[in-house]
Amino acid sequence: MSNLVLQARALSKKFVGVQALDKVSLGIETGTIHCLAGENGSGKSTFVKTISGLYQPDEGDILLNGNVYTGLTPVQAMREGVQVIYQDLSLFPHMSLAENIALNRLRLSGAKIVDWKKIWRIAKEQTEKIGVDIDLNATAMETSMAGRQITAICRALSQDAKLLFMDEPTAALTRQEVDRLLKVVQELKNKGLSVVFISHKLDEIFRISDNITIFRDGKKIGDFASGQLDEKSLAYHMTGRDVRYPRYRRSLGDDTPLLQVKGLNKQGHYQDVSFQIRPGDILGLIGLLGSGRTEFALSLFGLNPPEEGVVVFEGETVRVASPVEANRLGIALLPEDRGSQGLFKERGIRENVTSTLLGRLASGFRALDREKEREIAEEGVKKLRIRAPGIETPVGTLSGGNAQKVVVAKWSAANPKLFIMDSPTVGIDIGSKAEIYEMVQSFARGGMAVLFITDELEELMCNCNRVLVMGNHRIIAELDENAMTQSDAERRIADLIGGSAGKEVEV
Amino acid sequence: MKMSDKPANVTKKAKKTQKDGSLYILFGLTFVSAAVFAVVFGESMYSARNLRSMAYQMPEFGLLALGMMLAFLIGGIDLSIVAIANTSGIMAALVLTGAWMLGLSGSALIAAAVAAGLTTAVIFGLFNGFLITKLSASPIIATLGTMTFYSGIGMALTGGKGITGLPSGFTSFGTAEILGVPVIFICFVSVAALLSLLLSRTALGRRMYLYGENPLAARFSAIDIESIGFWIYGVIGLLAGMSGHIIISRVNSAKVGYGDAYQLQALLVCVIGGIHPQGGRGKALGVVCAVVLMQMLSSAFTIWQFSPYAKKLIWGSMLIVMLGLEYLSEKRNVRRELRQKVVH
Amino acid sequence: MRDLMGDLTGRIRHRRVNATEGILAGIILLYCVMVAAVNPAFLSVETLFDIVRSSSTAVIVGMGLLLVMLSGGIDVSFMSIALFGSYVAAYAMIRLKIDSLAFAFAVSIGLGTILGLVNALLVNWLNLPPFIVTLGTQNLFHGVMTTFISDKTFGAGVIPSALSKFGSATLFTLKTRQGVMGLTAAVIPMSIAVLLTWFIVSHTLVGRGVVAMGNSPESARRAGFNLLKLRLFAYGYIGALSAVMGVVYISQVNAVYPNKLVGSELMIIAGAVIGGVKDTGGRGKVLGVILGITIIYLLNSTLIFLGLSSSWNNFFVGTLLVASVGVTSWQNRRKNRKNLLFTE
Repeated sequence: MSNLVLQARALSKKFVGVQALDKVSLGIETGTIHCLAGENGSGKSTFVKTISGLYQPDEGDILLNGNVYTGLTPVQAMREGVQVIYQDLSLFPHMSLAENIALNRLRLSGAKIVDWKKIWRIAKEQTEKIGVDIDLNATAMETSMAGRQITAICRALSQDAKLLFMDEPTAALTRQEVDRLLKVVQELKNKGLSVVFISHKLDEIFRISDNITIFRDGKKIGDFASGQLDEKSLAYHMTGRDVRYPRYRRSLGDDTPLLQVKGLNKQGHYQDVSFQIRPGDILGLIGLLGSGRTEFALSLFGLNPPEEGVVVFEGETVRVASPVEANRLGIALLPEDRGSQGLFKERGIRENVTSTLLGRLASGFRALDREKEREIAEEGVKKLRIRAPGIETPVGTLSGGNAQKVVVAKWSAANPKLFIMDSPTVGIDIGSKAEIYEMVQSFARGGMAVLFITDELEELMCNCNRVLVMGNHRIIAELDENAMTQSDAERRIADLIGGSAGKEVEV
Repeated sequence: MKMSDKPANVTKKAKKTQKDGSLYILFGLTFVSAAVFAVVFGESMYSARNLRSMAYQMPEFGLLALGMMLAFLIGGIDLSIVAIANTSGIMAALVLTGAWMLGLSGSALIAAAVAAGLTTAVIFGLFNGFLITKLSASPIIATLGTMTFYSGIGMALTGGKGITGLPSGFTSFGTAEILGVPVIFICFVSVAALLSLLLSRTALGRRMYLYGENPLAARFSAIDIESIGFWIYGVIGLLAGMSGHIIISRVNSAKVGYGDAYQLQALLVCVIGGIHPQGGRGKALGVVCAVVLMQMLSSAFTIWQFSPYAKKLIWGSMLIVMLGLEYLSEKRNVRRELRQKVVH
Repeated sequence: MRDLMGDLTGRIRHRRVNATEGILAGIILLYCVMVAAVNPAFLSVETLFDIVRSSSTAVIVGMGLLLVMLSGGIDVSFMSIALFGSYVAAYAMIRLKIDSLAFAFAVSIGLGTILGLVNALLVNWLNLPPFIVTLGTQNLFHGVMTTFISDKTFGAGVIPSALSKFGSATLFTLKTRQGVMGLTAAVIPMSIAVLLTWFIVSHTLVGRGVVAMGNSPESARRAGFNLLKLRLFAYGYIGALSAVMGVVYISQVNAVYPNKLVGSELMIIAGAVIGGVKDTGGRGKVLGVILGITIIYLLNSTLIFLGLSSSWNNFFVGTLLVASVGVTSWQNRRKNRKNLLFTE
């Protein structure tokens, strides 16, 4: 038992109505890399926040280095050597990397005076410890995502971390950067640190971890040694067997393209993007974050004007200069960040749903047609099965899944011809996921074209009848309907995404 | 269908009382103060003369407050309204007094003067809008800058001296009455009513509220926030310009520095009137109500012969207290919402 | 969104050390050359000493403003605080017949710090834009002072001699053609304020904490900083410096007025903004503020040399401020749009 740096015993945590953690017991061994796997909302993050002292558990206790706690404060957690690198990294954008690394340590040590020599010494020491070379003079704002990630690691190390949690550390990194980061993590392990890696990328989990713990719906499904699992069984445990999504096939006869994109270019964002999409297509666009997929999606919606290339919509060459223009043409976008880009949280469902079609409820300075507005909102609630007390419920009080359905309803009410969905199922529960898939497929069956952006292979396979793979800011492969029905389609796509690593150097 | 109808209506009602609660409190407060003043002052407060003089004083300040309200609603602020009012008045006065006679006289001259004044005001407003929406300058800093700039223009044009001797044809507008009601008061009420309808009934009004609450989501909902913001600041300029004209016609002169106290009062009236300083919430009716309340207080202060300093004390503490109340009621709402947090 | 920032800015390492400061210094130099070309009388020790004397008070309080703006806040009540502290100190000296400079500073600083702390608490609790909160306290503080303490003016004869002596004291004197010129003793508190602020901002943990909070409040909290304490420090600090500035000011003008200072906050804020301090927090330098304020006072005191009356002051300061705000926000917006950030 003495080689356990952390032992959690029967931790439970409940939020208004949700059992976020349900009697979870878990041990982390010293000097290992332990992976927490599970879908969004499975309880991984709640577990981390409980250990780092941000949440107090309702039941259970925590053993850190032999000391028993029934609840921790952040400072106690840090004193016990628990460090967490959150997904947003918590860096200070306009401060130098050196200061970003050293400031927390100075703060904890209770220093009053800032000794810049000491800051530099701490920063250099940490970067040397893990053998990386970053420009410590640069501000975080000027540094690449990978550099920021390294900075956050150095900051954690400078505070004598014994147990380091990393929340989705590779989400925003290119393949090469991921390799470099994983090497660093390996190095930390060799130095005797325990690293807890939170990820839902299966290949990384297998590459790096010694032990894997799987979470689902707030419960621990099981602890496994890395060798005990393969990708298939891991995925099975993560999702559970009962969820099976219907596979989409296009049934429309009309093959006239709705949208043709020819040689679209934007320096630093994406290069030479060409494809076409027909009504009834659900065209998957898969690629890592940073592959250029969101940048491209925004271009079609008028928010990131391309520098070169032609967009033909319904047979006419168009220049989508603004979202207003996009909406007029019949192009909708479900944005990546639901909370800040998709919703008016203090407003009710009604006002959210009709926000995209106000022009149709009244022309000029004439009064809005309230009756029609109410009907539209109620229809949206019914069609998308949004669970809420009524159409005036502020959307900020809805669960992630229901809130996302409001965003879908708001754009489907505008009857778009092309619906671009950027990561539509991030952070929502499995039940809502299935309902959203069902909706998307019924939109397409009704003749809508959908551009479905995702980085989850599973949802790509079940929803999309064609797939574009993006990497290195360009489209590296297209799988047509035929290719998608082959049994090796999933493998091919996975390889393509993985394979884009080697070409990174050219950019 | 019937099942889902019921809860919808129930929450609708619940929400109405919750959202308009502060408005009712405001109505209540206004009536109570009106009653209290009636008891305390009697005739001196509600004499026809005093009522009329209140009706004369309200518009110039009320129009500025409505302008500030528009800026607040879209999540901004306009600190240049008084500067716009003054400089627009100076422009009009320069034309009126013959500095820039343009070879006109009589009512043509007055029309030209008003046109010059209002055009200036609108251009100033649009320039604010340009800085804030097209260059993404922060509203506070941008309008702090243009406030200096616009009053600097007025100052440079007049050398800081007042322009006097406006033709009576112009000043009579400020004192004109229809059925015993000042024309300028009718102007103010119509503008307020128009804005109220615009905000509560039209698509533009709805878009402004959405813009004020979350400009990013508004942009992603295909709402043209840049154009809306640009023109709204133009409208604010127009309202400030109208106020400027009323001021010069009342005092019969134009000068930099008139109405400086209105800046704070306009902000205060918006806060009292329930316009949230961070945008997206509030009603024109609330502002009108707050303007009336303020005017009654002002009149009371005049009767009591309060010094300008005491007024400052009262306005300042009212602003802080109102912000505090706003904060408390918000906290209560958040708690209420958390309690009824919906679970899938 | 966030993934992009990295790729774009990855290796672009432009040493933007003192970019703003360099441009400002260039502008100052160019302007001086221009004025000197028009009027050679400008190039004299007198002008220099004069500008130092007139801008010393602004620099002192500008240092406090830097700290508040670094924290991501703003304060428009500092002139009210300066007046409050210095007026009460002088009033007490006259009433109690205490003739000591140290007493004046002690009383003033004590009061100023308390009022600053009040601001910090209100900003922290109300969780509303600090601009509106401090606009309220600006009036509140001034109102409290004039209503409850005194609103009398004390002229040259009544002013304690310690103050008037300090106001006219010089560090050293130079004999020139016009007579004997001295460098004002206000340089001492000014230098202390500058050095102290520089030390706090770059060499103390609380200073770095303030900067960290301006960068990202959430990250600062996670790093273990107490945001309330940091706010108390920043607003308390500007309160203390304002109080120092108030004493220097009444000494220089050799009189105490109950209505001076308040209302002239804008020039200091303008100086800070022109000097490159961002109202979004986390960015700004001591040197930038000094240069920004220098430009404004240079303009104010040299228009005469160009044959322009002082009524052009606001026009030029306004133009400069609007131009500087316009250009920097436009650059910022372009950078944000490239990184697909659509927040204003």
